[in-house]
Amino acid sequence: MNDYAHIPEETLALYALQALDPTESAVVRAHVTGCADCRAELASAQGDLALLAMSVEQQPLPEGARERFLRRVEADRPSAGLSIVPPRPRKRAAAWGGWLAAAAMLLLSIGLGIRMRSLRWRLNETSLQLAEETVESRQAHQVLDLLTAPMAQHVLLTAGKTPPAPSARAVYLASRGALVMEASNLKPLPADKTYELWVIPSNGAAPIPAGLFQPDANGSASVVMPQIPSGVVAKAFGVTEEKEGGSSTPTAPILLAGAAPAVGE
Amino acid sequence: MTDESANPNRLAGRSSNSSSESAATASDESLLEQVRVQNQAAMAALFDRYGGMVYSVALRVLKDSGNAEDVMQEVFFQVWQNPQTFVARRGTLGAWLLVVTRNRAVDVLRRRKPSDSVDEVVLAAKENVAVEAEQRTLMEKVRTALNKLSIEQQQSIELAYFEGLSHSEIAAQTGEPLGTVKTRIRSALISVRRAFQT
Repeated sequence: MNDYAHIPEETLALYALQALDPTESAVVRAHVTGCADCRAELASAQGDLALLAMSVEQQPLPEGARERFLRRVEADRPSAGLSIVPPRPRKRAAAWGGWLAAAAMLLLSIGLGIRMRSLRWRLNETSLQLAEETVESRQAHQVLDLLTAPMAQHVLLTAGKTPPAPSARAVYLASRGALVMEASNLKPLPADKTYELWVIPSNGAAPIPAGLFQPDANGSASVVMPQIPSGVVAKAFGVTEEKEGGSSTPTAPILLAGAAPAVGE
Repeated sequence: MTDESANPNRLAGRSSNSSSESAATASDESLLEQVRVQNQAAMAALFDRYGGMVYSVALRVLKDSGNAEDVMQEVFFQVWQNPQTFVARRGTLGAWLLVVTRNRAVDVLRRRKPSDSVDEVVLAAKENVAVEAEQRTLMEKVRTALNKLSIEQQQSIELAYFEGLSHSEIAAQTGEPLGTVKTRIRSALISVRRAFQT
């Protein structure tokens, strides 16, 4: 978990519903990636949505839907292409005898085809049954062998040293439009790129650009009192990478994001 | 399709063949393991188990049988091609399929590109909908919970969940403040959740 405030549960529910605007969704997505608490709450919200789906009255499938799906599956098999036999060139039949022979062959082919399909289906079913019965047994033996093997290596895994993650802290006073942000551990950018800070208004309006910045050699940077309108209640703040000179709208992905706590929290 | 096959939940068990019955009663995990090795019978068993629910959810959102079948086919074909997309920590397979289906159906309804990856859908759902009787019980329970919601809450859920409107669109359509819409949706979901905690 990072140092930012958590995403409000209401917002996580809307995110699960896909009912947020794209910018808001990007902020939430960026946050939940690094926040186990919010991920857990989001999973709960997704579970709620599954329950809602269960309220739907069951309808019969359209006629042939199952067969259409299974045909598609059959056609997708890697070996399916090998079984396709190009049609033979058609020849004019000179006599009824030829037609009758062809019809007999056709009936025979259809019969064999159905029989083969049936056998293949039963083979699949049988292999499924056998596999299911043996999987558990095999796995149990494998686990036992591993745990009792004298040559097995027992290793304790702990968290290793990881490079410090980029982060930023913002202090914002909406009534004055005053904002200070300090960032650290930022990766350097090419000369034609810049970082840009954004204020995400809580009323759903477009994100407001709040200053461009480049990190120093230590990866540190700051934005102090950028020109932004006063009175904008912020829902969140974000940092994106933009072309030199900045942008009027944020370009995904949002590299850093933080939800603004309620005033006074 | 015959009348019998119209109900996908009966389809898997209609054969007298004991191996068919095995496929019908096998766990989702066993079937997915077989799907990973391209076993079509296992895929058919999953389709029989969940096809009706998946199609019904898509139809509820899209109100068009052709589009709903397209979404259903896409969702199941994704399972066939990438069975590893679903892992147990994402919740139960049935619940996961329903959420993915609803999201895809809304994408179609709103004519937008898929707005999330199925990899993002992780659920904390414990309900097992693999059995038809269980599905019926759950449906009754959720409906009871929904009926207890206020009219405004029911409307917000309808617009957000089944019509795929954003919170700002719902606020504009209902004339309610954005904050009210958010709170209403959240409290409605909590009410449904609580119905399963008691």
